[in-house]
Amino acid sequence: MPREIITLQVGQCGNQIGMEFWKQLCLEHGINKDGILEDFATQGGDRKDVFFYQADDQHYIPRALLIDLEPRVINGIQNSEYRNLYNHENIFVSDHGGGAGNNWASGYHQGKGVEEDIMDMIDREADGSDSLEGFVLCHSIAGGTGSGMGSYLLETLNDRYSKKLVQTYSVFPNQMETSDVVVQPYNSLLTLKRLTLNADCVVVLDNTALNRIAVERLHLSTPTFAQTNSLVSTVMSASTTTLRYPGYMNNDLVGLLASLIPTPRCHFLMTGYTPLTVERQANVIRKTTVLDVMRRLLQTKNIMVSSYARTKEASQAKYISILNIIQGEVDPTQVHESLQRIRERKLVNFIEWGPASIQVALSRKSPYVQTAHRVSGLMLASHTSIRHLFSKCLSQYEKLRKKQAFLDNYRKFPMFADNDLSEFDESRDIIESLVDEYKACESPDYIKWGMEDPNNLLTEEGNAKGTADPKLAI
Amino acid sequence: MEEEEDQQTILDLVKELVNRLLSQNPKPPISNPSPNSPDFQNSLRYAIRILSSRLTPSIAPDAAAISESIKRGLATRGKSSQALTFSELYNKFASKTGSGSIDNKWAVLYLLKIISEDKKTAQNASNPSLFLSNMGLNELDLSNESRVLRNSKRGDKGHDNGVLVVTKDPENLREIAFREFVNLIKEENEVSEEVLVRDVLYACQGIDGKYVKFDANVDGYVLLDSIKVPRGTRVMVRKLCELGWLFRKVKGYISESMDRFPDEDVGTVRQAFCAALQNELLDYYKLLAVLEVQAMNPIPLVSETASSGNYLSLRRLLVWFTEPIVKMRLMAVLVDKCRVLRGGAMAGAIHLHAQHGDPLVNEFMRSLLLCVCSPLFEMVRSWVLEGQLEDIFAEFFVVGQPVKAESLWREGYRLHAGMLPSFISQPLAQRILRTGKSINFLRACCDDHGWADATTEAAAAAGTTTRRGSLGYGETDALETLVVEAAKRIDKHLLDVMYTRYKFKEHCLAIKRYLLLGQGDFVQYLMDIVGKELSEPANTISSFQLAGLLESSIRSSNAQYDDRDILDRLRVKMMPHGTGDRGWDVFSLEYDARVPLDTVFTESVMARYLRIFNFLWKLRRVEHALIGAWKTMKPNCITSHSFTKPQHAVKLQLLSTLRRCQVLWNQMNHFITNLQYYIMFEVLEVSWSNFSNEMEVARDLDDLLAAHDKYLHSIVEKSLLGERSQSLYKSLFVLFDLILRFRSHADRLYEGIYELQARTRASSLSSRDKNRSWRQTRNKTSEPGSCLNDGRKALEEHAGEFLQNMGQELEAISKEYTVLLEGFLSQLPMQQHVDLKFLFFRLDFAGFYSQLCPGT
Repeated sequence: MPREIITLQVGQCGNQIGMEFWKQLCLEHGINKDGILEDFATQGGDRKDVFFYQADDQHYIPRALLIDLEPRVINGIQNSEYRNLYNHENIFVSDHGGGAGNNWASGYHQGKGVEEDIMDMIDREADGSDSLEGFVLCHSIAGGTGSGMGSYLLETLNDRYSKKLVQTYSVFPNQMETSDVVVQPYNSLLTLKRLTLNADCVVVLDNTALNRIAVERLHLSTPTFAQTNSLVSTVMSASTTTLRYPGYMNNDLVGLLASLIPTPRCHFLMTGYTPLTVERQANVIRKTTVLDVMRRLLQTKNIMVSSYARTKEASQAKYISILNIIQGEVDPTQVHESLQRIRERKLVNFIEWGPASIQVALSRKSPYVQTAHRVSGLMLASHTSIRHLFSKCLSQYEKLRKKQAFLDNYRKFPMFADNDLSEFDESRDIIESLVDEYKACESPDYIKWGMEDPNNLLTEEGNAKGTADPKLAI
Repeated sequence: MEEEEDQQTILDLVKELVNRLLSQNPKPPISNPSPNSPDFQNSLRYAIRILSSRLTPSIAPDAAAISESIKRGLATRGKSSQALTFSELYNKFASKTGSGSIDNKWAVLYLLKIISEDKKTAQNASNPSLFLSNMGLNELDLSNESRVLRNSKRGDKGHDNGVLVVTKDPENLREIAFREFVNLIKEENEVSEEVLVRDVLYACQGIDGKYVKFDANVDGYVLLDSIKVPRGTRVMVRKLCELGWLFRKVKGYISESMDRFPDEDVGTVRQAFCAALQNELLDYYKLLAVLEVQAMNPIPLVSETASSGNYLSLRRLLVWFTEPIVKMRLMAVLVDKCRVLRGGAMAGAIHLHAQHGDPLVNEFMRSLLLCVCSPLFEMVRSWVLEGQLEDIFAEFFVVGQPVKAESLWREGYRLHAGMLPSFISQPLAQRILRTGKSINFLRACCDDHGWADATTEAAAAAGTTTRRGSLGYGETDALETLVVEAAKRIDKHLLDVMYTRYKFKEHCLAIKRYLLLGQGDFVQYLMDIVGKELSEPANTISSFQLAGLLESSIRSSNAQYDDRDILDRLRVKMMPHGTGDRGWDVFSLEYDARVPLDTVFTESVMARYLRIFNFLWKLRRVEHALIGAWKTMKPNCITSHSFTKPQHAVKLQLLSTLRRCQVLWNQMNHFITNLQYYIMFEVLEVSWSNFSNEMEVARDLDDLLAAHDKYLHSIVEKSLLGERSQSLYKSLFVLFDLILRFRSHADRLYEGIYELQARTRASSLSSRDKNRSWRQTRNKTSEPGSCLNDGRKALEEHAGEFLQNMGQELEAISKEYTVLLEGFLSQLPMQQHVDLKFLFFRLDFAGFYSQLCPGT
């Protein structure tokens, strides 16, 4: 009765990071490219059945659905050396193969069209598991398929599997360079609404920050997609270690997330990882101790979300929760010492309206993957500064919206038919209220927030069904 | 002229001498013997005649020889003290040389000797001379016993001594008559020294002689009173006969022991002791035989004229006996000391006497102990090398008792302090005990035979073979080496067996994983599937069903990859339950530690594990409940984002209730999570890592047991399960119960909200349809809509009421929780015996609680 997790990789980006993720998992569990357990992989202690199941011939199959509206990436996977790993029934490529054209509305609409096919696949996977814990969605929020179709899937999953967890690994677009996707602010906004309302936990992977880390920390002048994706897969695999190597605590996703997300709305998590290495990258090997790792994890430069906050705002930012997953050979007594140091030096600002602390989970390291470092650590944290990322998305949207640019592409689809752009407005309101809630979390009076100002509630109010109150409509 | 003067001086001196001699007769009260009395004149004349005679002694003029003969003479008569005095005087006398001293020293000595011999012959011939009168007086005081005799015979007088009749007074006459009588009696009973020597020799063999007999009253051999011997002789005989008395004692002890041999209280050590004594007596017999032979032979005389005696005089015997008497005394003392002692205690007691400066005694004791200890050492050897308790008489300092296999190590054998000889130190004894115990443990509990190789090796290393009797007293070093070598190897072997064959570490880990909930996924599934069962009343729960559930949670968790042997030992245990108990209260897991592991995991140890399990299980259950609550209010729940358009008041109420619920949940979850982290890092893992370190360095099973005890103790104490943390533990459980209560409240709240939501949505959907049609037609009456609106109003009212109630209840729980938690936190710093500042530090990491109440 493992707590199975089904991974949905949607769109180009989603499939790319998904593939990296499975590569990493296979490495760590000693599963070869064809899904067969390597001879050396006899040291037990790991749980493969959370993410894999075994076919009749005992080879391991990822509980993964590969979904895309255009065949390029998936074909790439099917022609790669990992082609035998996946269950071919779990691969969905739309018939016409035309993609979503970087249009959220197109992806959403097509998603609705193929809902039945995809839900069949999901149901089949869900039925194949004893006690399904939830779903993990890998996608980007900027493109068409990952954002649009991903959004549709989120809503559907929320509807059909309301008791299951939905976690997403959402790649936020690089906002430092001009994107080839001009409508990316629209796509992001519309996806963010679903992430806010229909996901239980969103791990924010900010391409801006990933690039910055690749440049600054890994000293790559022009990081490739593969390189940033390997960062992502490292984070993804590290964040699931406690599920795959059971220990005393944090053995299921819900336990892991519950403590991280005390306020349901604020479920966007930042990640940090140290020490970072990229394949074939000769890095200076540092001495790693628990304290080192934990201290570095708190440094903004290691965090995979860029902070757009101004200095004053940054100083106000507070951690709602932190979970450090430390891998490697760690003397448990060091954990306490490190926590003590961190507290003494006041390296962390926590919320004031409730108790909070750095949680530390010790996890085993895969015996099959040789790393140069003795200790590595992943931080999952809920931090109020993430609101600046959303504000940035909002402001970019506003700029574009003001110009009424590129809206025609959206009006072609039923949701925006008849020039009904209320979906945009509603999404904007929801993101705004999300930003407000994060801001409120920075104050000690969060508990009373929203109670005294009824007007605030109007904007905060979300309407999932897209219905308007008749009185308001008049 | 000078010649004449000298002559005159000599004459004067002689006169003076005679005068003195006569005046020394105290009894006849001659106050001042007149120089003109006829006695005096006669004596003077006699003296001068002797002096002027030209008699020469028949011996060579050798002063030393003469002094020696005088000394011997004195000694023979039992006047050893006088002999001593004499030799002292003689030394002084001889050392005086030069002018004013006497030249013819030998002559003076000879003179004195002759005088004294004259006295004797005069006495013997019953013709007491003038000089002998002194002697009679001395003899009067000789013994008290004879005085009684004398008194009774006092009236009987009539004989006259003649010589001493110097005065005519009747007092004197009576006295003289009495003395004569005594002398007569004594003359009748006179015995020769030869006879006495023989008797003494008899006595020394424990046989009554003719004159020397054992007197039970005095408890010793005495010369019969009737025998007339000089007081010195009598004393000497008594002294010599001490040997006989001692011999009797020793002999008696031996024969007594031998007679009672098969008795339990005799034992091998005592037998050995007796044998050793017997051996010593053998030497003694030899000596006596030699002496007896010698007693027949006459003494080669130095001087022909001196009174000839046997080769063995009493005095000689005294010399002969000095050594045997020392030994015999020692033996007698030992016999006395050991009368009530047995085994090791006896050896110890004997050993105490061996600490003696006298090399003779030392040597003697050594040889004695060598024998006495040999059975003991043999026991040690076979115990240490073979694990055999060859101790039918309960003499060994290791005592075994029949026990069950699980308590063999702890209770099976112990040291008997009383039987521990003092030459074996306490640590060595402990070591000996442990080594043999280890062998027995290996044999009885571990079913192992490899120890034999280990002991052979040990014996080889120690330089002794495993033959019997290869060790002896005095080789304590060798013994220690043997024990140390054997202990080292046996302990190592035992640990090897425990570690490799019986997988001690694996079992400890298994207990940590299952009983201490270290295997998180297993615990989770178990919690998931037994949860429903355990909510039932305890008496309706079948433990078979639970066992099935346990099995299935093993199969579905990573525990399935564990060793089957380990998994088979994991069982469900239902604790005794009272009425009203739920399954949660009685459920627990147990681990079946079989022989030999039950030596470590005894029942009491398992009971402590059980306590820890129950605590951790409860903690897990509370955590599980909180996570369950989170699941109902998780982010993508419908409640958290939309409540389709209720009134603002209701909306606000909903928001505030939900947030209160979430915040409270956060507080509780923080507490529980951090308590768990504390338990994991500061309690379980730290204790475990200490334990594994100690396991690495443990040299024997006792170390291992101690390390495990320490491990368990530290977990118990730090988990607040100790005696002194009772109040903390109680408040913790109150908190747990409150959290469980909160969970059911939260569930009710969310259920209610779902229900309201469903109804609101239904009504709003229908109103939407209506509205749409209304919008399209624009001429319909608003009647149905108002009707619907009425329904909605009622619904909202209902919702408001419900939310208000729930809000109040939550508020109450929140208050109670705050009070309880504050109480708990304030108790933490007061726990002196266990370091709980880690826990407080974790709970208050961000300073939330210390800000809340700065007092703490």
